[in-house]
Amino acid sequence: MPEVRRLTLDSRCSAPGRGIVAIGDAGVRILLADEQSLFREAVKVVLGNEDDLEVVAEARDGVQAVSEAERVRPDVALIDAGLPNCDGVSATALIRERVPECRILVLAGEEDHRTLIDALEAGASGYLTKECPLGELIEAARAVHRGEILIPPRMLGPLLRGLISRRRDQDEALRKMSRLTRREREVLALLAEGADNDGIAQTLVISPQTARTHIQNVLGKLGVHSRLEAAAFVRQNDILEDLVGSAT
Amino acid sequence: MTLSVRQGRPARRPEVWLRQAGDENAVYTPSSGEVFLMNETALAIWHLCDGATSPKEMVEAVCEVSNMHPDIVEEDVARILSDFDRAGLIEWKE
Repeated sequence: MPEVRRLTLDSRCSAPGRGIVAIGDAGVRILLADEQSLFREAVKVVLGNEDDLEVVAEARDGVQAVSEAERVRPDVALIDAGLPNCDGVSATALIRERVPECRILVLAGEEDHRTLIDALEAGASGYLTKECPLGELIEAARAVHRGEILIPPRMLGPLLRGLISRRRDQDEALRKMSRLTRREREVLALLAEGADNDGIAQTLVISPQTARTHIQNVLGKLGVHSRLEAAAFVRQNDILEDLVGSAT
Repeated sequence: MTLSVRQGRPARRPEVWLRQAGDENAVYTPSSGEVFLMNETALAIWHLCDGATSPKEMVEAVCEVSNMHPDIVEEDVARILSDFDRAGLIEWKE
């Protein structure tokens, strides 16, 4: 019989109760946003059975979710990823911007890595699929209110790998960008904003021929073949701010 | 940021195999006949042991996801990598 040992990364990274935020007597005030009224009713009943949870507002689409969040300023918002009329991820970003104290749990129909990353980037504190048991949803609402970040365990590995890959791409992009002169960075920033040769020449007060020369140099140093590719390079690597900052 | 683990990039030993059944993740080492059970977070780090990813990159990614203090994440990642190392599950690439 082989020896069995347990290896866990859970001493603190996944310990419950981290970053506990005191819950007032009124409990956790929840906004529930889902297109399906039956789903909203069911979840509302289940959450209502918990002493410390209370659904204070409902919304059937993204626009309504944002306006209700501004009106009632809930502690937690449960937002369906596929909301009509402003999807759940966009609604998450708007709520985080307008009601920053509200923690958001995005609910998705199925595990989708793109939606998970988008939701986290939009400011969500957690992501659950609707396949989860109701008990898990209840605990998740409490956990995000305490300040925890919730990610389905099975999605964690691919998520970390994706983040590392993206960071490497950004490092490589910054390395390529460091080869550009200040003037070439200005040209690249204008290219990324959609400027043509004449526009670049006018903005930088140089001749169109000089602008063309700078563009050719930029394309060569970035290893791309067209100005469209150069603009995509900036957008994909999210370096426009770095570009503008370093050019000024 | 300094990690209290070996320098280099950890790589899963090729002879070690993983079996996933339901919520259980079991790693078996034929040489010693040992079986190790991993939780999902340990498994996520295990999958990152590809010989190309550094512990620093692992820490940065976990920090980005969890918003936790880098010192805490660093210590936890270092601990699990040390556990993997002591168990003979990984080797280190330069």
